[in-house]
Amino acid sequence: MPSSPELAAPAPAAPGARDVGAALRTWNRRLHYFLGLYFIFFVWLFALTGLLLNHGQWKVAEFWPNRKTSTEERAIRPPAASDQLAAAHDLMRQLGIVGEIQWLATRPAPSRLEFRAGRPGLTFEIQADLQTARAKIQRTELNASGVMNSLHTFTGVRVGDAKNQRDWLLTTIWALAMDAVAVGLAVMVLSGLVLWLALPGKRLGGALALVGGVLVCGWFLLGVRLFSP
Amino acid sequence: MSPRVYAFIRDLHLYVGLFLSPFVLVFAISVVFLVHAWIPGAAAPAEKRTVTDVTLPPDFENLKGREQLAAAHTVLDRLGVHGDISGLRQIPRDRRFVFTVGLPGRESSVDLNVAHHTAAIATRQTGGWDATVYLHKMPGPHNVNVRGNTTFMLVWRWLADATVYLLLFLSLSGVYLWAALKAERRIGLALLAAGAVSFGGIVYALVA
Repeated sequence: MPSSPELAAPAPAAPGARDVGAALRTWNRRLHYFLGLYFIFFVWLFALTGLLLNHGQWKVAEFWPNRKTSTEERAIRPPAASDQLAAAHDLMRQLGIVGEIQWLATRPAPSRLEFRAGRPGLTFEIQADLQTARAKIQRTELNASGVMNSLHTFTGVRVGDAKNQRDWLLTTIWALAMDAVAVGLAVMVLSGLVLWLALPGKRLGGALALVGGVLVCGWFLLGVRLFSP
Repeated sequence: MSPRVYAFIRDLHLYVGLFLSPFVLVFAISVVFLVHAWIPGAAAPAEKRTVTDVTLPPDFENLKGREQLAAAHTVLDRLGVHGDISGLRQIPRDRRFVFTVGLPGRESSVDLNVAHHTAAIATRQTGGWDATVYLHKMPGPHNVNVRGNTTFMLVWRWLADATVYLLLFLSLSGVYLWAALKAERRIGLALLAAGAVSFGGIVYALVA
């Protein structure tokens, strides 16, 4: 049992503190709305493409069988640069290709330069023979569903693949946008919790919903592993 | 706007949002790891072991589809390897099978030699952060005919879908709740427009 009036009940806040608390609550509510409104199109894109990626058998999600491919062979000027990345950029400039470079797992012969370059929904596989000064270019174009799916995963890097780094400014901008959406969603979750705590009448129902979510999600995050031998 | 409808949607937005918040955090946190190709603790060394005298179900090499996956789970259970088979490669010439088996935070690779009845197993405890990435990517677009061979993955597939539908509901109901606040309309519209322009601008620059 509290023995002093200070512990029995919090002292009434000074008018200034009340104002600050009210202002923080208002700004927290605004932050929740404003982030949601700003990121709504990003969230829709990632949510819907997430659904499509998990249901590749849906008619609307089909894109690989409907891809358009074409191959051409062109004369090139062998790049002077000894650095592979600079040489690839030189070759792309000659061929009029813009996009992110992806190095393939296989290492070509020294007289060859082979890589993939592209943007969401459009990739070029380039096989250049520096001795004969010829390049074979295979162009693959995806439909709208393929473009959307590519946007979901277009980061320029992959876990465990140190060979590939982001080398196109727009990939970096898109990656930063993905980070911003992720941070924005996390802030919305936290501001939502603060909004809920300010509603005394909704505490029990809200707590049940939150605990339900934490238990279900926590089971998959930790429980499945901990309870598997 | 009817006050009762408004109050009902506001409560539903609150409760759905609270239930969904841990799922949203899992997807949001894993985005940062995926975008930067870096997962703390995921590069843990593998524990390796070899099991001999592995008992195989009859006609194991000739089974196909779901029957093959069910038989593979029988073998994996005997080997003490648990999880969803996310990759299965049969190498008939060597009479070998290579399985990739995953759980959130654990990854195993099993190289089963049918001719010698041996299995080389490598297991890595990839940790909690990697678990968020695993859940983000599963079941995913690859190996559609293989993935989803455990109950937990079937349920997670359903939950991942539910997360999308509920997130769409939250965003639409959020717009409805914001639209009811007359004082916040102008700045809200400005932010909606700014979001549309930045989204459209980046996507256009990337794709066009």
